Amino acid sequence: MKRDIEQTLKESIARLKMLSVEEINLDSRLDELGISSLDSISLVFDIEDKYGVEVPNEALKKLQTVRDIVEGVERLLATQKA
Amino acid sequence: MKGIAVTGLGCISALGGNVEENWAALSTGRSAIGHLQGFEETDLKVATAAQAKDFVPESHFQAAQLGLLDRHSQLALVAAREAVEDAGLSPEQLKPMAAVVGTGCGGKETDELTYQRLYRDGKPRVHPFTIPRGMPSAASSQVSMQLGIQGPCFTLASACASANHAIAQAVLMIRAGIVDAAIAGGADAPFTYGLLKSWEALRVLSPETCRPFSADRKGLVLGEGAGMVILESLEHAQARGAHIYAILSGIGMSADAAHITDPASEGAARAIQAALADARKDPGEIDYINAHGTGTLLNDPSETRAIHAVFGRDAERLLVSSTKSMHGHTLGAAGAIELIATVKALQEGVIPPTANFTAPGEGCDLNYVPNEPARVSCKSAMSNSFAFGGLNAVLVVDRFD
Repeated sequence: MKRDIEQTLKESIARLKMLSVEEINLDSRLDELGISSLDSISLVFDIEDKYGVEVPNEALKKLQTVRDIVEGVERLLATQKA
Repeated sequence: MKGIAVTGLGCISALGGNVEENWAALSTGRSAIGHLQGFEETDLKVATAAQAKDFVPESHFQAAQLGLLDRHSQLALVAAREAVEDAGLSPEQLKPMAAVVGTGCGGKETDELTYQRLYRDGKPRVHPFTIPRGMPSAASSQVSMQLGIQGPCFTLASACASANHAIAQAVLMIRAGIVDAAIAGGADAPFTYGLLKSWEALRVLSPETCRPFSADRKGLVLGEGAGMVILESLEHAQARGAHIYAILSGIGMSADAAHITDPASEGAARAIQAALADARKDPGEIDYINAHGTGTLLNDPSETRAIHAVFGRDAERLLVSSTKSMHGHTLGAAGAIELIATVKALQEGVIPPTANFTAPGEGCDLNYVPNEPARVSCKSAMSNSFAFGGLNAVLVVDRFD
């Protein structure tokens, strides 16, 4: 599941910022990828839409790397299943 | 300083993706009205449309940009880029300019996709770009951002007169000395299911083509597109050595204060009169009128009455044509596309005809330049826009020699 989320996110970032997926890794910083706050809302939307999770506003503000989003969504999915 | 120079033109419609393609069709009387495409699976009764079929968004914008661009913003940008390039404006010259974009419908494509998700598909959330993409002022913001225009920028809405009101507003800002130059015009993309159903419900759409002023006219045909013009004070244009197409010498605005859909010829006449007064012209000085000419039962005789009321005996020698017979009714873009047609007519000495004309309708007794273009050298012309809700705006342009 983690790999799946990671891939979805990387593809969304690549599409949004016109990068290749290979240029993006888990520790890439969102600001270094040129991701604005509107961009990150849009990326989170893609994931929410695909996985049926709801990322709270407070969590959104803390996201700094690609890993933060992937692991955050994983945790949300785990709570959802529990 | 009264006259405002028109120094750049940009246009996209069903007739083509730039001014040259539009003029090639307009000047030969070629209509782009055809079967409505893209709604084959729906219950729509609308059969005809003037769609910009050759417009491929991906060849004008990057995929990441398109996410933020409603179709009407895309059309606005295509026309705006052409107008700016045509006028030869540098980034430094663009910076202090104003931008006024008219639209009748705004971001309907975005709104409808959103409501489809929520109400039809039962999705719990909508795309975060919904607001910035769909807001009525989206096209103005995009024009400002992508062209680097930092002066007064806003959207103006007066239904089918939006572009003429937008152009008039730009003229007023230049006259007032607020800016030296402005880009103004309009854009609309009305081909969405809900909007087409709404137009259908009004029972003003033609089941076939659009035949303004003809006895057998059956209504208007919707069109999509955008038109943008660059306006400058004459001094500013001459100081930078700009090519001047024409002088925008008069604007006239009025409201019917009568009915929400039925036009009142007195209101239209007041706008025409006001435009002439503003241009300091006698009716005898106007050679050509690009009519509002929607092809609806009510507009065409009402507009004809208004022209008679103002022009009196001069109405007889006037050339009056409706280019909506070719590019359809582009709503909030109409005034701009038609001003461009009018400016080109003055420049080229060719009056675009009223296409699809059969026989004059009752109360339609002017020279509508039926079907064949007229080769006439004109000095001054007028372009009419009379919107639903009785909001009228008329422009007067003079050939620049």
